[in-house]
Amino acid sequence: MPVTRQTPFVLVIVEDSDEDFDTVQEAVDRAGFPVEVFRAATGGDGLTVLRAQAPNRPTLVLMDLNTCGVDGREALAAIKVDPALKCVPVVVLSTSANPKDIGFCYAAGANAYHVKPVRHPDHVRVLVDLLTYWMSRAVLPSGERTADEK
Amino acid sequence: MIRTTPVRPTPWDGQPYSIKRHGVTITNCDSEPVQTPGCVQAHGAMLVLRPADLTVLQASENTDRLLGHRADTLLNKSVQVAIGSDGEARLKAFFATEPTDRNPLYAFTLPPRNDVPPLDVTAHTVDGVAVVEFEATGRTEAGEPDYYALVKKTVTRLQSAKTLQQFCDLTSDEFRTLTGLDRVVIYKFHADGHGEVFAESKRADLDPWLGLHYPAGDIPEPAREVFKQIWVRPTPDVAGELAELVPLTNPDTGRPLTMTHCALRGASVMYTEYLENMKVTAGLTMPIRRDGELWGLIACHHYAGPKHVPYQVRAACEFLAQVVSLQYQAAEEREHLVYRLKLDGTHQQLLAQAARDGGLASMTEGRPSLLDGMAAGGAALYHHDRWWRVGTTPSEAQLDALGEWLNDRPEFASPTRPLYATDSLAQQCPPAAAFTDVASGLVAVPLSRLNRNWMLWFRPETIQTVNWGGNPHEKPTVPGPHGPRLTPRRSFELFQESVRGRSLPWLAVELDAVARLRMLVMELVVSRAERLADLNADLTHSNEQLDAFNYVASHDLKEPLRGIHKYAHQLLEDAVIVDQDHRRKLSGLMRLALRMDSLLDSLLHFSRVGRVALVTEWTDLNEVVAESIEMVDARRSEGPPEIVVPRPLPHALCDRVWCREIFVNLLSNALKYNDKPQKRVEVGFIAPDEDHSRSGCPEGSAGHTIYYMRDNGIGIPARHFEQIFKMFKRLHGRDDYGGGTGAGLTIVQKLIERHHGRVWLDSTVAEGTTFYFTLQGRVGT
Repeated sequence: MPVTRQTPFVLVIVEDSDEDFDTVQEAVDRAGFPVEVFRAATGGDGLTVLRAQAPNRPTLVLMDLNTCGVDGREALAAIKVDPALKCVPVVVLSTSANPKDIGFCYAAGANAYHVKPVRHPDHVRVLVDLLTYWMSRAVLPSGERTADEK
Repeated sequence: MIRTTPVRPTPWDGQPYSIKRHGVTITNCDSEPVQTPGCVQAHGAMLVLRPADLTVLQASENTDRLLGHRADTLLNKSVQVAIGSDGEARLKAFFATEPTDRNPLYAFTLPPRNDVPPLDVTAHTVDGVAVVEFEATGRTEAGEPDYYALVKKTVTRLQSAKTLQQFCDLTSDEFRTLTGLDRVVIYKFHADGHGEVFAESKRADLDPWLGLHYPAGDIPEPAREVFKQIWVRPTPDVAGELAELVPLTNPDTGRPLTMTHCALRGASVMYTEYLENMKVTAGLTMPIRRDGELWGLIACHHYAGPKHVPYQVRAACEFLAQVVSLQYQAAEEREHLVYRLKLDGTHQQLLAQAARDGGLASMTEGRPSLLDGMAAGGAALYHHDRWWRVGTTPSEAQLDALGEWLNDRPEFASPTRPLYATDSLAQQCPPAAAFTDVASGLVAVPLSRLNRNWMLWFRPETIQTVNWGGNPHEKPTVPGPHGPRLTPRRSFELFQESVRGRSLPWLAVELDAVARLRMLVMELVVSRAERLADLNADLTHSNEQLDAFNYVASHDLKEPLRGIHKYAHQLLEDAVIVDQDHRRKLSGLMRLALRMDSLLDSLLHFSRVGRVALVTEWTDLNEVVAESIEMVDARRSEGPPEIVVPRPLPHALCDRVWCREIFVNLLSNALKYNDKPQKRVEVGFIAPDEDHSRSGCPEGSAGHTIYYMRDNGIGIPARHFEQIFKMFKRLHGRDDYGGGTGAGLTIVQKLIERHHGRVWLDSTVAEGTTFYFTLQGRVGT
């Protein structure tokens, strides 16, 4: 259900794997929303990108947990204690199904946690589903109405 | 006995003391002037001479009987009047050549005159006067035994003694042979002054005194002082007369004569009364001295009337007493060495045992125990937050209070030897008065300062353990001729007073051994703690590595897998690839990636099963099985199996979640490896009191409930019974029987092991398999 929209959604993706980033791109295309994608390869870069995009009110952050440098956990924690950023939904995407990781992320304020499936079509479906949810079902903190309601 | 100060006024105050005049007024042993009694024993006579001209200054009042001249007629005369010119000449020569100061020596024998038998003359000098004593020689027509040979033989025998006891036994025998008296006891003084009959040789018909204890006051302080100075003390006739010196004091100095070294010294009234109370008629006493201290006495008693032991025999006794004193020390050192070796040997055993058993508990529970390493009534150890007791000890509550009290003892501040020992605990720690019967004596060493760990030994009150001389329960109170002075009853009461709340003292050799044991235990504890710390560090390290490995497995391995799957998928989607063979290979690539993924998941799960803490609680297994059936059914697509629970399962102490996984895994296997049209599974149990034999239960499972799950599946050949529990071991093709990673039973086994249980099976190919297991969960996590 492609919807036209004046200003595209701002999507910040923290992902160090090119393959996984490519899969996100595929899902974004398939989901069909007008999205401006910003990619960072580490959690630290992700924070920088997010701060830079703060005036554009980013719609969603997709956060990989295990990146080099400042990793996704630290970036998540930093976002959720930053008054300017903490309202931005952060969805964690990780290979880890370890209850410790899951517990940590929710405790740090993650808005959702998804385990990346190895099976490619499953992986794409998870991403399309979550993009669709956040971009057409959820009410975002910016107060702007989601695509569905327009 | 109550000690008095010397300034206390005495009944004879202002006049010279004489036993004959003042003895009956004495009520207190320690105030009796035993060294200046003013009297001699009347079987002999004494002259006190001015050394310069041998003029008689004092004479015993019985000189008329023994020397043929009344005392008063001898005063201020030359000694020649009493002993003749020959005697005078010999005496003069004697004093000129012999070392006579405070050293009575035999001078010569005065020949018989009239009806007086020959007399041995001994002489010494003291305080500027010459003291000459006259006694019957005791020689008979038969001649003298060879005292030298006798003593030499005795010394040789004593040297062969292996223990102190043996040494003292021999000593008492030898002295009895030498003196011919009825009883010889070796009287040993304890540190608190009380005495014990340590060895005895006696006439067969006499009651034994061996092992009896006597209060310190039975041998008063002044008497002990005398025995530090002389080597022999004869009392040939306990009931014999006394002869007073005339005059009582030296006319030149006005002082009474010091009779310490006189063989004839008049016996203390307290002493003779005491002997009379024991029906002793004659006595001879020698000291056993060590480093100038009085260790004990060799007391010879006679019961058949007066018994004069002549100078010659006394000299032999004196010499023997000196030999005994020297040899005694060697014997005691030998014995202490033997005791020390025994203590150390036992302590080494204790330590080896503790090291082997991995805990100090064996020191109180094992053989040998702390009690074998010490002559004590009980021992206790505070270790791992509890008391470990052996033998007779105070209660745990009392020990707790004692531990608190010990914490403040200054002795434990010593960095080199933190050791506290007492033989009268209640005096220092008043609450201990409640248990003097078991712990009047205490030795305590700390095993650590901070954790308040202790090693303690207890000794009971002496009164509980010793036989005392003259049991008052057997004898009525007998007042002596001078009132209730040294009667057995009085003696016992005094004794009780002196040993109330006291234990036998701890020997230096025992305390040294305790100090050494403490060091050894500390070393053991420290080395164990270090080893434990090392193991913990290793464990933490390997857990961390395992965690790291889990991340490698879950993330770093899976990420490329996702990439591989993705590219294969994309290629397959791509219309360019039309070759069926290529397409088949791409499908295979994707399938392998997914298989790798599930193997990694199993591995991760298995490692979690091994490390996650169990939360054990009493769990209704019927509910667990119902949940498991639901979970397994949900995965199933084929016709409904028959799952039977013949009788309700009991509650079990287990982790509910993990226990469910056990049932889920077993149940799904039972259904998966089953080719029967009607699949059947039975879930049941064998109670601890039921016949376990059918299950083939392994050792250690008896006495526990055995759970089982029986299916009518394909069965497992016996040779595979062990393999099936191995990680990723599959007995069948990868995709047969619904596939799977081959981790299920490995996880089941791990979960059951985590519940301290066992799992085993019984199977017949084509008929079915029964899995048995026990759950021996422990309360808590």
